[in-house]
Amino acid sequence: MRSIIAAGQPSGRHLFKKQAVWPAGLVLLVLVIVMISPALAPQDPYRLIVSDRLQPPGAGHFLGTDHLGRDLFSRMIAGIRATIGTSLLILTFSMLIGVTIGLLSGYLGGLYDRVFKRIIDAFMTLPDYIFAIVLSGLLGPGLINLLFAVIAVKWVGYARLVRSVVLQEKEKDYVALAILGGVTPLRIVMKHMLPHTLGNVFVLAALDLGKIILMIASLSYIGLGPQPPAAEWGSMLNEGRVYFNTAPHLMLAPGLAIMITVLLANLLGDKLRDQFDVKTRKEA
Amino acid sequence: MLRSIGKRLLELLLFFLLLSFVSFCLLKIVPGDPVRSILRVDDVAVTSEQIEAMRTQLGLDKPLFVQYGLWLKQLVQFNLGDSYLTSRPVFSEFTEKLPYTLLLTAGSLVVMLLISIPLGILSALYRNRWIDQFSRIFSLIGSSVPSFWLGLVLIQFFAVRLQLLPPMGEGSWRHLILPSLTLGLAMSAIYVRLVRSSLIESAGQDFVTSAKARGIHPARVFLFHTFRHSLIPLITIFSESIGSLLGGTVVVEVLFAYPGLGKWIVDAIAARDYPIIQGYTLFMSVFIVSINILVEMSYRWINPEIALKGKIES
Amino acid sequence: MLNIHNLTVASGSRELVKGINLEIAPGEWLALAGESGSGKSLTAASIGGLLPKELKLSGTISWNGSTLTSLSPSLRRKTLGKEISYIFQDYQGAFTPFITIGKQLDELLRAHTDLERQRRKNMCIDALDNVNLPGGRVYTSYPFQLSGGQLQRAAIASALLLNPGLLIADEPTTALDSLTAQKVLKYIAKAKERLNLSVLWITHDLRHVRKFADRVAVMRKGEIVEQGAKDQVLNSPAHAYTSRLLAAIPPLSPNGPRRLGQLSKNSLQREEGALL
Repeated sequence: MRSIIAAGQPSGRHLFKKQAVWPAGLVLLVLVIVMISPALAPQDPYRLIVSDRLQPPGAGHFLGTDHLGRDLFSRMIAGIRATIGTSLLILTFSMLIGVTIGLLSGYLGGLYDRVFKRIIDAFMTLPDYIFAIVLSGLLGPGLINLLFAVIAVKWVGYARLVRSVVLQEKEKDYVALAILGGVTPLRIVMKHMLPHTLGNVFVLAALDLGKIILMIASLSYIGLGPQPPAAEWGSMLNEGRVYFNTAPHLMLAPGLAIMITVLLANLLGDKLRDQFDVKTRKEA
Repeated sequence: MLRSIGKRLLELLLFFLLLSFVSFCLLKIVPGDPVRSILRVDDVAVTSEQIEAMRTQLGLDKPLFVQYGLWLKQLVQFNLGDSYLTSRPVFSEFTEKLPYTLLLTAGSLVVMLLISIPLGILSALYRNRWIDQFSRIFSLIGSSVPSFWLGLVLIQFFAVRLQLLPPMGEGSWRHLILPSLTLGLAMSAIYVRLVRSSLIESAGQDFVTSAKARGIHPARVFLFHTFRHSLIPLITIFSESIGSLLGGTVVVEVLFAYPGLGKWIVDAIAARDYPIIQGYTLFMSVFIVSINILVEMSYRWINPEIALKGKIES
Repeated sequence: MLNIHNLTVASGSRELVKGINLEIAPGEWLALAGESGSGKSLTAASIGGLLPKELKLSGTISWNGSTLTSLSPSLRRKTLGKEISYIFQDYQGAFTPFITIGKQLDELLRAHTDLERQRRKNMCIDALDNVNLPGGRVYTSYPFQLSGGQLQRAAIASALLLNPGLLIADEPTTALDSLTAQKVLKYIAKAKERLNLSVLWITHDLRHVRKFADRVAVMRKGEIVEQGAKDQVLNSPAHAYTSRLLAAIPPLSPNGPRRLGQLSKNSLQREEGALL
């Protein structure tokens, strides 16, 4: 029986493995940077030296200092963890929740599916940005609340995607064969459906990463993110804007950092999508 | 036809009821006490008697379901309650702020169309030439820049350095330029590429060759055949991104201290002004649903097949 | 009188059409046959200047004494739809899906004439009536409201609207079933008699050639390997390739059109198998 299943199943898993090698490596690299970033900061990002305030970039401070005399470069480094780390965390949880609900909804079908579909549709109607703003505002400012608010709007996309892929796959012969062969439903979901959805999920995730970083930065900027003295790029921008005239580096550094990070994430997403599109077209 | 519209409206009604109930409950669960934040405005020592009196006055001492029932009862009379902070009806505050946000949205859309349509057309016509490369880079950078940062840079340049435009607030059409530019630029970054790829796809259609083979003027073929065909996917994507457009207005309104709905809701959240938050959520859903209905109607114009067969092709 | 002299179409350094010569006399029906990729459709597109930009054309094509290949784009466009008309294989692509047939015919008339509105409308409805379509109804219909055969007939009506001298039919029947195909060809034959029309008929299917064409040219790999009167080419082919093309045609069976339609599809596959 196993061989029939293997023969009937399109090579979704193989496809996913092959093309995910270098993006996975890149994600790992980013994770390592996020982990070790605090150790890279040359100075304490929270130490105030008021006499040193608003120093331009130079010898003592590579990127200058902020309005409280803190070393900007060290704060930028600390911000990697707050901004990128939080985004990756949000992405991971959104994917976990969304994929689980999508698999359940698509595979169980019937009443469950109708309930899930309603919930998913309701979330899709609400504008995600506004929902996140209202939610994080109500939960109160802070990094953890921000995390909850963004996950609450981001899981829906994954649930919808996975549900539709599972509904399509369910109709295919290999699933019927597997059921006839007495393979347990859990096994069908984990071994056959999950691998099939993952390619799509990772493309969506890569394209989402940039959006999440921008969303966090925006929410932080309107004051809903981590509170001072936390070093997060969005809130650093908020603090720095008052001094744009005298110390433009306070705004340029975090702004450019956000831009470059999002740009890289978008490039990765495009690349992944192109690759995946080409592969799926070849398969068809 | 009428039956499907009726069914749709009934579904919408149910959806709004559910949504309002969920948001109502959510407001009660989350931490923070509106009574305290109202009384804190007066900036005097607050006694527990005062708090209780205020609670009774606002009806917050009643059970949740009773509160929700009262809110619904008011709603059918087009009354969304009064703001805790200003004591003014939520509805009249809303109608006061709405025009500002609509103006800003319209302004951004104008900027978006003015940039993305010509640039998209040019990059489709001169594929892989310098204008196409330019639009590719513009789009890549534009979709990576946080809109508020772009806004700050624009303020710094046009308002502070050149002193050409007011940096923030409202009052004249000149106040609208920078916020519209901020949002419009961010949006055109996405639409330039979409216009381009949609046009290239449409230009390869057989009916375009057929029209050319009939000797129709190329400009006419482009405008009435190719371009109109390319609008179909664009409108779909646009309707799906209304949500992020509205979200964008919130950030930009806060940035430019622009008195629209976005700033209104952010202030209301900070003050835990529940009636406003509740009303705003409702308005926004109604607004988005109406936009979607408008989009569906424009489909009927662009693709008469839908109007006649009553179905939407994916 | 259509004159094609030394026509070459190249993509980069690769020549897809290699210096071919063709002539079509007034009122003559020429069938240009060959497998797909032989360059016959490119030849057809070259006449109207409809080649994709990437392809380079050399040689001359002239129509009734004027050299089309040296005309300015706008003058050349004025001959299209008026002097020289096209019908394509894919009837779905003959008309823009979201514009009524009437408006598209009217657009053609406005591009080439200064007639007034009511006169134009009458002309369109007459042209549709001429191909046995209910003119008044089809005039206000969208393309998707018509069947494949009806669409192809509407496309013929549009091509014949301004009484052209040359009709280029690029596999007009390939997408149709055999019975409908026969009808479509009959309409073209009728117009040919009425207007003394020259017809360039691109086809890879030699079945109908005997009945409709006057002359046959066979193309292979960008070259014309054989041309002449249809009886001569069909009965005693001089080139081995023509014989193979002819051998790929199934014998006509008396089982009726449906069966024939299926057979022709199989024979096509067999033909491809034999030739490639």
